[in-house]
Amino acid sequence: MAIALLLLVGGVAVGIFGSLLGLGGGLLIVPLLTLGFHLPLREAIGVSLVCVIVTSGATAGVFLERRVANLRLGMVLELFTAIGALLGGLVAFLLDERVLAGLFATLLVYVAVSMLRPRGATTAPATGGPADANGAPADGSGFVERLSGPGYRIRSLPAGFVGSVGAGVTSALLGIGGGLVKVPVMHIVMGVPLRIATATSNLMIGITASTGAWIYLLRGGIDPYATGPTAMGVFLGATIGARVAHRVDLRVLRVLFAVVLVYTAAQMVRRAAGMQ
Amino acid sequence: MTGMDVGASVARAAGLEGRVAQLLRLGTYTAVALISLGVVLMLASGRSPLDVAPPLDPGHLLDDLLAARPSGFLWLGMLVVLVTPAARVAVSVVGFGRAGEPRMALTAVLILGVVVLGVVLGTAGT
Repeated sequence: MAIALLLLVGGVAVGIFGSLLGLGGGLLIVPLLTLGFHLPLREAIGVSLVCVIVTSGATAGVFLERRVANLRLGMVLELFTAIGALLGGLVAFLLDERVLAGLFATLLVYVAVSMLRPRGATTAPATGGPADANGAPADGSGFVERLSGPGYRIRSLPAGFVGSVGAGVTSALLGIGGGLVKVPVMHIVMGVPLRIATATSNLMIGITASTGAWIYLLRGGIDPYATGPTAMGVFLGATIGARVAHRVDLRVLRVLFAVVLVYTAAQMVRRAAGMQ
Repeated sequence: MTGMDVGASVARAAGLEGRVAQLLRLGTYTAVALISLGVVLMLASGRSPLDVAPPLDPGHLLDDLLAARPSGFLWLGMLVVLVTPAARVAVSVVGFGRAGEPRMALTAVLILGVVVLGVVLGTAGT
């Protein structure tokens, strides 16, 4: 009972922090389960994939109804994130867990540095041109044009495909939603406004993470007993976080969170070096 | 495509987004309900989340549910979690087909193909 409660509370905390800071829970779920509950890393990644699908499911619906997420663009890119996730899921079962731990530590340090970087340092370049008010292309034709939305036009689609494959590989390999890769690719490379890129990335998590999760599930990499309380907690936490986000000063939270990430990365490095 | 055709296509696409949103919500809340029930049963039966659970056996899933075994509800909840995104894409195949967007419909079919390949390769590795 105590362990289930701890997992639930840990999941709630992860859900709240992830939601407040705009991160998927995966970045925190994997260290929570491996360092806190001593689950094998690969199993923690499988649990994390299930959790990120659950948390994205409810919010993606809201983003779609508010017309913030771009369904067409999301589906075209998720074909490539799914291919990447397929590759990542297969590779994950070939790699030594210490290699996975090392990769995860690198990811944590990257995110910590990103958090401490001044906001607004990256801005989207000018978009190719406006579309009409309904989101249809200005000239009413062309597949690429139809992927654009009100006020922006997609560009560098091939680069988006490559980035999406990378996001899928990262997702399945490390148990995250992949937004860390997808959002910058869409925003900076493809010229999608940040708000729409974030919402579209959230929509894409379902297919991206589930493609990898099927491989984990069918190869015995997901334990339902450990997944249950964690998924419940993360879902609750994300719901709470979304409701209180506008009342929280995120500046101090970001610094604190970056410190936690660096500490966690150090623990992961120790694990990678076989010291745990 | 005339202005009226474009307007009708946009309206159909908006309807598709609404259906997809409903499906995602339904799938997510159903999965969370099943998983929550499984967790309650797991705790009631004195099991720990760190115990090793029985592996997924689709042939015994119904028996597990009828016998109120926690693993049955947890596995079913997880299957709903994993099937929901694919169901969303399947709905999009039909929606984009009806909206006269064959390339988007084909994209959705290809996505389903990759997911199915993942299931096949996952099974092959067991």
